[in-house]
Amino acid sequence: MPLEAAARLVSELTSRGYNAEREAVTRLTAAENPNAALERVLEEVPDDALVVRVDHVEAALATTDAGGTTRSDSPASEPAEPTPSVSTGTSETVDSDPTDQSPVETEGSSSIGRSTGPATAERSADPALRSLEITGDMTGESTGTGEYEDFVSVFRDRLDRLGGKLRSRVNHRPATAIQEMPGGSEAAMVGLVNDIRSTASGHWLIELEDATGTFPWLVMKDREYVDLVDELLCDEVLAMEGTLADDSGIAFVDSMYFPDVPRTYEPSTADRHVQAALISDVHVGSQEFMEDAWNAFADWLHTDQAQHVEYMLLAGDMVEGVGVYPDQDEELDIVDIYEQYEAFSEHLKKVPGDIEIVMIPGNHDAVRLAEPQPGFDEELREIMSAHDPQIVSNPSTVTLEGVSVLMYHGVSLDEVIAELPEEKASYDDPHKAMYHLLKKRHVAPQFGGHTRLAPEERDYLVMEEVPDIFHTGHVHKLGFGKYHNVLAINSGCWQAQTDFQKSVNIDPDAGFAPIVDLDTLDVTVQKFS
Amino acid sequence: MRAEDERYFERLESQLENAFDVAERAKQRGGDPKPEVEIPTARDMADRVENILGIDGVAERVRELEGQMSREEAALELAEDFAEGRVGDYESKAGKVEGAVRTAVALLTEGVVAAPIEGIDKVEILQNDDGSEFVNVYYAGPIRSAGGTAQALSVLVADYTRALVGIDGYNARDEEIERYAEEISLYDKETGLQYTPKDKETKFIAKHMPIMLDGEATGDEEVSGFRDLERVDTNSARGGMCLVLAEGIALKAPKIQRYTRNLDEIDWPWLQDLIDGTYYDDAADADDEGSDADVDADDEGDGDEEDAADDGDDAADDEPEGPPRVEESTKFLRDLIAGRPVFSHPCAEGGFRLRYGRARNHGFATAGVHPAAMHLVDDFLATGTQIKTERPGKAAGVVPVDSIEGPTVKLANGDVRRIDDPADALEIRNGVEKILDLGEYLVNYGEFVENNHPLAPAAYTYEWWVQDLAAAGADVQALEDDPRIDLEFPDPEEALEWATAYDAPLHPEYTYLWHDLSVDAFCTLSEAVAAGRVEDDTLVLDYADPVRDALETIVIEHRQRESESRIEVDDWRPFVRTVGCEPRQTVADGAALEPEEQEPTIELERTWTVDDLSERARTWGHETEGDNAIEAVNEVAPFQVRERAPTRIGNRMGRPEKSERRDLSPPVHTLFPIGEAGGAQRNVADAAKHAETMSDTPGVVELQIGRQRCEACGTETFKNRCPDCNERTTPDYRCPDCDQRLEPDDAGRVECDRCEREGTCVETREIDVHEEYRDALESVGERENAFEILKGVKGLSSQNKVPEPIEKGILRAKHDVSAFKDGTVRYDMTDLPVTSVRASELDVDVGQLQALGYEEDIHGEPLTHEDQLVELKVQDIVLSDGAAEHMLQTADFIDDLLEQYYGLEPFYEFEDRQDLVGELVFGMAPHTSAATVGRVIGFTSAAVGYAHPYFHAAKRRNCDGDEDCVMLLLDGLLNFSKSFLPDQRGGKMDAPLVMSSRIDPSEIDDEAHNMDVVSQYPREFYLATREQADPEDVDVEIAEANLGTDLEYTGFEHTHDTTNIAMGPDLSAYKTLGSMMDKMDAQLELSRKLVAVDETDVAERVIEYHFLPDLIGNLRAFSRQETRCLDCGEKFRRMPLTGDCRECGGRVNLTVHKGSVNKYMQTAIQVAEEYDCRDYTKQRLEVLERSLESIFENDKNKQSGIEDFM
Repeated sequence: MPLEAAARLVSELTSRGYNAEREAVTRLTAAENPNAALERVLEEVPDDALVVRVDHVEAALATTDAGGTTRSDSPASEPAEPTPSVSTGTSETVDSDPTDQSPVETEGSSSIGRSTGPATAERSADPALRSLEITGDMTGESTGTGEYEDFVSVFRDRLDRLGGKLRSRVNHRPATAIQEMPGGSEAAMVGLVNDIRSTASGHWLIELEDATGTFPWLVMKDREYVDLVDELLCDEVLAMEGTLADDSGIAFVDSMYFPDVPRTYEPSTADRHVQAALISDVHVGSQEFMEDAWNAFADWLHTDQAQHVEYMLLAGDMVEGVGVYPDQDEELDIVDIYEQYEAFSEHLKKVPGDIEIVMIPGNHDAVRLAEPQPGFDEELREIMSAHDPQIVSNPSTVTLEGVSVLMYHGVSLDEVIAELPEEKASYDDPHKAMYHLLKKRHVAPQFGGHTRLAPEERDYLVMEEVPDIFHTGHVHKLGFGKYHNVLAINSGCWQAQTDFQKSVNIDPDAGFAPIVDLDTLDVTVQKFS
Repeated sequence: MRAEDERYFERLESQLENAFDVAERAKQRGGDPKPEVEIPTARDMADRVENILGIDGVAERVRELEGQMSREEAALELAEDFAEGRVGDYESKAGKVEGAVRTAVALLTEGVVAAPIEGIDKVEILQNDDGSEFVNVYYAGPIRSAGGTAQALSVLVADYTRALVGIDGYNARDEEIERYAEEISLYDKETGLQYTPKDKETKFIAKHMPIMLDGEATGDEEVSGFRDLERVDTNSARGGMCLVLAEGIALKAPKIQRYTRNLDEIDWPWLQDLIDGTYYDDAADADDEGSDADVDADDEGDGDEEDAADDGDDAADDEPEGPPRVEESTKFLRDLIAGRPVFSHPCAEGGFRLRYGRARNHGFATAGVHPAAMHLVDDFLATGTQIKTERPGKAAGVVPVDSIEGPTVKLANGDVRRIDDPADALEIRNGVEKILDLGEYLVNYGEFVENNHPLAPAAYTYEWWVQDLAAAGADVQALEDDPRIDLEFPDPEEALEWATAYDAPLHPEYTYLWHDLSVDAFCTLSEAVAAGRVEDDTLVLDYADPVRDALETIVIEHRQRESESRIEVDDWRPFVRTVGCEPRQTVADGAALEPEEQEPTIELERTWTVDDLSERARTWGHETEGDNAIEAVNEVAPFQVRERAPTRIGNRMGRPEKSERRDLSPPVHTLFPIGEAGGAQRNVADAAKHAETMSDTPGVVELQIGRQRCEACGTETFKNRCPDCNERTTPDYRCPDCDQRLEPDDAGRVECDRCEREGTCVETREIDVHEEYRDALESVGERENAFEILKGVKGLSSQNKVPEPIEKGILRAKHDVSAFKDGTVRYDMTDLPVTSVRASELDVDVGQLQALGYEEDIHGEPLTHEDQLVELKVQDIVLSDGAAEHMLQTADFIDDLLEQYYGLEPFYEFEDRQDLVGELVFGMAPHTSAATVGRVIGFTSAAVGYAHPYFHAAKRRNCDGDEDCVMLLLDGLLNFSKSFLPDQRGGKMDAPLVMSSRIDPSEIDDEAHNMDVVSQYPREFYLATREQADPEDVDVEIAEANLGTDLEYTGFEHTHDTTNIAMGPDLSAYKTLGSMMDKMDAQLELSRKLVAVDETDVAERVIEYHFLPDLIGNLRAFSRQETRCLDCGEKFRRMPLTGDCRECGGRVNLTVHKGSVNKYMQTAIQVAEEYDCRDYTKQRLEVLERSLESIFENDKNKQSGIEDFM
């Protein structure tokens, strides 16, 4: 199938306010006279429909054909039958023989599609095969009212939940109990890092805090653990083990434990060959928004190369926003925030209608900046309703056919990169910075610095469960890799280099779409710029 | 110096000596830290330098070198003296270098600012890696006050002295070089530098610097790389060092080079590379080229500016089509805040019109505004209010000048009137519908010189016209002498006659703002005039919107009567002639028969048609073709008409004026520590009764205090006199380790040789505050009901923690005055200049002035009545009413202190404020360390301190809104002690370490030398402004011309008088209005009235620069805030997991609450709505509002309306 034809059809459909299922577009392109077919379809489509579906196309083509085309129309009338049957068949086989599922389907679709052309892939757009589950969405659950107590309970919740993962590993004692222990005793403590400072002699003093108080732990500069001190952020949870000094006022650290992801962690995978596109930072409304790249991406999604892409995850910054930085209006292509979302929605419509979309807000979006950020409000949801995306809070975990993806916009990455030495975290390897967050089992540990915190009754930023995939954006750099088998992936962006980025020498990775195979967690990157 | 000047200074000095004697006697008796007066007198700069440094022999040497060479050369000469031991008593090489460097900085800052003592911490000798020695100079933050040139020269002097005493150069290690680069950018990010060298430039400088630049940490932010260096003590940015390297060496390289060339001992060949920028591997790098250009531009700034101006002229010659205009500049509108109104947008019609001249209360960064305008802008402007202005400088202090034209307003009844009388302004203020024009705005020539700003086209004013008239051949002298003629405010007939008879331009009084009218509107207007009629010597025009608008635009007085469909203009003849119409008397038939009903109907005839206008006149314009009718006017009028107000100056309110007592917060009566025992009020009486527990003795408080020892009887005490034998005590220094008693060395350092530790006399001991308090009350013979409350301090911050005798505090409390950190009583006032005064406005009589040595008025006539102007003597100052009141209280306190504490005769014995006249005070500015002696000459109701510009310049202030303080002479002499000064960086700033008894005009801030001192600007000047000439190219005499001559203290003439230096409101509305909301409402209301102001823009800016940053900042602060214990004040970076304070178990709470975050939210939304702000702004507010809701409201328990409960 010629890509241009599909693209043209899609843009024609969007211009008329319709979103289209990929399969529907494929059918249309395959039609003898796609333009006529399109007109026909649009006439027949029910008034309340926003998405042009396969059945609409089929119905329309059927009538067209009935109108007297000489083309062999037997395959055209058949699909209405086989599609469900194949799907049903495969869904039955899912449990029994998942590995065979994809080939079966590929086989099936090609056999059907062959008559109309090589690319009219029959795809398993069967909703029954899909599963998508959201956890940790706090939209509409923001109960904090900004009181002192709210802050205290957030941090206590953090210590309880992450500390729970450490308490089994060390023989921990509360800070006040350690203060009472005699000099020379062995002690261990689980707590939040309260303070990190270097002593005059170059050692490191780390103050741990738990619900009873604080205790200082000294990491000697010549100990093996000293290297880990560089990685520490305030307010992360960790455990320390060591020996009390003679006057008991301080303990010498022998070992340090992080909540971490177990080395042996085995991620879940999907039972069939299905893919998800993990993108972020679209920045519609910016003068630097790369519309052409986005359109190329959307068009590509309509091709059979992308036939297995059934999910799309958007990790924040749909639009450029307003008032994000001073004098931003001078650099906006669309100054009105609502028009930005409308434009974004138009761009989203170009994405095949049968792709499931999940999105979280980012720091440019019109929601509160403090994390966790609830999903968009009703007004903005209404604007973006055409494609019916799932809009959830930042962060949230979405489980796609068994594969859990922790979506987080990634503001804390700036802080991790700033605080940690360059070899441990840098903008060039954003996924390495993500490894540290995985290790700390918290998406934004440090309080009081770059990241903003809105106090809620529990700490939504904790990684209670280990995700199979950790997806972030924000830094506009593409990077992915595995940390203890967890796939960490930072999407690039759809915004070309801004003046600001130029001034600080950041060269963004713009116009890339990382595609993850949910059955293998392999990543392929598609380039559209 | 003239004999009378000599007499004046001698008189001041003898008065000073008298007071000094009294103070010396008192000090010998009292329990002050020192038994003598601690402020040494300096007669000149050399004295000040010596006193501020405390190095003997410097003054003498400075005087020798002065006159022979520049100050910079003298500094280098002195460096040789230090090196060879001729000056200063230093054993060590480091000491010699230190002495030389400090002296250089002191010399270059005229011994006024604190930089030489506070900005240079120490000089030490360290070792290079090859074992050779090098010099390390430790700079501190206050080096900032020295300025770039002095900073740079200090480095040169250090290097020169080093070479002379035989120390090697510094070889920076690589990591140190890298550290400099990282640190400079860190400091720039954190604090900001005027000039930030590129990393390469920094590294180049660091690599070649022959001495090490080091310093104290000034910020909390630490460098990330190059930490823990062996030879660098801190990981934070060293602010002083950064300033010296960036704003000193990098920025002033060409200036230093001038001196290195002449010195054989040292060699800075790399400076040339630095200046040329040839230190790069890739010299072609565009950015780098740019930075070099910056460096060059600084030195050759004048030349460049000239070139630019020339270019401008050339360009103007090439295309003469268009009137000369200045460029708009919106800089002054930046950071507009709520409650401080904009008076005029940049170059906006209806705004202040630039008039050149200097009023007697003007010059030195001030702006003359008509007092009627001050009232009409709803009193937001008062004498001394600071305005941020479009040009020529950035800011100016407002002074009232009523000899310029006042504002023109349109009243609700349709009258358009020019208001030249402040009383009228007050009367009609409520009926003002629109302020069509703010009137004239007086700026003196010197301002343009000082700011190096090309002259802006001058308004056509009387001063210029009269010279035009003379140039046209009129006998101006004869006209001036004619008692029937008012040359400045003539009748319309006279004005017309002169214009036609002498062929001179039309008198400015009848010249309207034709240049603001478009050619089309002008044609319409002239048609309307031709169709008009004259009734009762009043021009009557048919009412029509275009006619009304035209008349409002040209700002002519008239009456709009919409209901009667007519517009009336009174002084119509010049106006009618200007629009090219001729009055023609039609002899009505019946007129001659009925003489009573004399109604000579005058008809008007237009003498031209639109087609008569030349192409040039039709298209004449500045922004668009044909937007300026002046050329058309000149073609149709029978005389020449000049542009009345070609330059408008935009401005907005900056800071309000100030005249307030300086109280510490909370106020302090006595510098006696009482710890926490006095409660939040620091009440000594409470502390005297305080007991922690039932078992404690009330009034016994544990305090950190200096230990003193009586040499005579060995008693240990904290007092300066032995309680047993009344002998003076000395600080009792001990080693903190071995408790060995120590004596300070010559340099005043106390160190234990055995333990190598610094000794101290501070100890924690229990003091019976109750006993001290009772004893003090008894000793001064006061009872507790003599005052409301006596406030002490929590603790002492001075090095030796010497407390002040409580007695002084009791007497301060009795007279309701409070002490500053150095023990003095101060009063702050905004500085304003004045060069001539009249007795009547100062609330003094002629006799009082005569008694002060004022014998003649400014014209040389004998002084006989109150309204004569006399030239102000340089050290005489005018106190505000508040200051006078406060001085009287202080004088009473001093008298009681002398009598009841020191046991001497009272000194002042004032009955009322007239007694203050002739008394001496100290003037003292922040960031400086030298006080200047002044003499009270009178009082003003304006909330400012008027004084001679030289007096302000001696304190290193100008008058653009700066403020400083006055102290009563004897208060300073008796109560100031260096021992009270905080032992921290900057502690010695704002303290009178030395006083100047007389002002030498050559030794003051040279900004004052640029003030013009003439009574008239020449006609050539006005013509040159039309060319936008460089101010230096115009011949107007400035004060500089008289420096060093007999005339240096006199001849400060002015071009404009003002009736009273305190006209207009006494206080700005900004200070009289209550809440921020009231102020903002008034600000927006005013913006609606002013034609020159775009109210939507004001609202946008208030939201953009005040509300949004506040909201965003507070919201950000909220979500990353620290917390504080309500009980002990301990701060926590994060909320403690215990919930309670880890220190005291007390209640911990947030430091940023919901209330402080969203306090402006609703107001901002309302303003955005009401003033029709952009959607962008409104949406930003919407997004923020939702963020606030999301954070502060429970989704499951949304705030419900009252109806839910009904």
